Amino acid sequence: MSEDKTDKNQEIIGFACSFCTFKASEMAGSLRMKYPDGVRLVQVPCSSRVDPAFVIKSILEGADGAFVAGCHPGDCHFIKGNYFTRRKIAALKEMFDAFSMKDKLRLFWVSAAEARRFVEKVTGMYNEIKEKKNAGKTN
Amino acid sequence: MQGKQINNGKIENALNRFLEVEKHLVLGFEKGADDIGHRIFKGNLDHFSLINTSFGINGALYLRRLFAKGTKIMLILRPCEIRAYIELVKLTQIECEDIIAVSVDCFGAVSSKEKTDDIPTEVAQIKDYFKEPEKMRWACRVCSERRGVVGDAGIRLDKNGFMWASPYTEKGETFLSLIEGEAGDAPAEMSINATVKTEKFRTDMEEFSKDFLKCIMCKNCRDMCPVCYCIDCVFNGDEYLPKGDAFLNKILRTGSAAMPQGKELFHLIRMFHVSQTCVGCGACEEACPQGIPLTKYFKGISERLQGMFAYMSGKSFDEEIPYLTFLEDELKDAED
Ligand code: SF4
Ligand code: SF4
Ligand code: SF4
Repeated sequence: MSEDKTDKNQEIIGFACSFCTFKASEMAGSLRMKYPDGVRLVQVPCSSRVDPAFVIKSILEGADGAFVAGCHPGDCHFIKGNYFTRRKIAALKEMFDAFSMKDKLRLFWVSAAEARRFVEKVTGMYNEIKEKKNAGKTN
Repeated sequence: MQGKQINNGKIENALNRFLEVEKHLVLGFEKGADDIGHRIFKGNLDHFSLINTSFGINGALYLRRLFAKGTKIMLILRPCEIRAYIELVKLTQIECEDIIAVSVDCFGAVSSKEKTDDIPTEVAQIKDYFKEPEKMRWACRVCSERRGVVGDAGIRLDKNGFMWASPYTEKGETFLSLIEGEAGDAPAEMSINATVKTEKFRTDMEEFSKDFLKCIMCKNCRDMCPVCYCIDCVFNGDEYLPKGDAFLNKILRTGSAAMPQGKELFHLIRMFHVSQTCVGCGACEEACPQGIPLTKYFKGISERLQGMFAYMSGKSFDEEIPYLTFLEDELKDAED
């Protein structure tokens, strides 16, 4: 794998709930906090809107990692959406684990007020995946 | 457990009595000249067979989108078929009010593609025949529920070679009342026992790609899966797969693409979608013209994912499908 590809072009697709995590990313922007360019956000009305099919598609079509992020349990704008998200994404992680690619998927809870937490979470994920890739491991 | 012994044509008599009523049907197996297959009987049974030693299709497939109130249907099928029926009831794709589901102890089956002439037709002999697991197809070898313990009632074989019918629900009582004779205590020990848990399935993308190399994306596996439940599959048409420039762009970004494109995507998505409802029947594999070991993956993944919620598909009518419910306090490890 060329230096180029491992260093610069890695991409992480994040599905972020429009009521909390996406708001946190906007706040991070207005506070001029930096997070890696390769993190691409897809705004969803609720984390439970994320059909695991979207995540699988992101990975199989080239993303190095994907995350689903929503409000903390108990704080869902739609009352209980994120509880369903948790079950689905936990199960999807188990499936990714069975295919030995567990590290490609994360689940975060980030509220609208947690700009710093948002930056830490996505930067951490980005760096870990980059390290693994540079070490020649894709999983 | 209460039950009635059912030797000497008693089950046929009972079903025929049920069929005397207009708008009563039985879905079970029919013995043909040199094969056994599904049949919906009306009026009376003809060449009925309680056991089917070959597997082609999971019979629950025929019941999808069935909302036939007023027509009473008795199912006399294998455990994997009754389990798929129960999942479809929970997915509100079958109206179960007028259906009585009876599962029959299963000894295993050979693939309908690989039938041989030496398979016996008598229950006791069938049981002996399948003592060697190599004689069954793979899905049956690793089947997690061969016992007729699911549905409204079950027909089971005891250690002495006698068949017993036992009710599990109120509808099951109705079924039992059709059988002649007095109910008594059915023996506690039956000849088919619960299976032991197997190891967690594990693989990687390389092995997966190798196994699915020959897939032609005909989607027969999806069409013959009894519990692949989406009314409108994302893989109907090619909207879900990149086309034209987007497709070229994808290849340029990812390096290279196996063709037909989208097969890994299709199978992984289907695997997740059926992960809580898959009954491990192997109907997908039977339907595959390319001999792809689908059951290994679908059953392997679904057992892991059902295990997370201590769920077993089709075991009971009341247990909710895990993705349709939740606990407020659970899955702490899921969060990163
Ligand atoms: S999968 Fe199980 S229940 Fe179904 S035919 Fe095979 S052994 Fe019987
Ligand atoms: S995925 Fe295959 S094994 Fe599972 S229920 Fe469907 S047809 Fe049966
Ligand atoms: S039936 Fe076989 S060839 Fe057809 S899509 Fe399924 S796995 Fe591929």
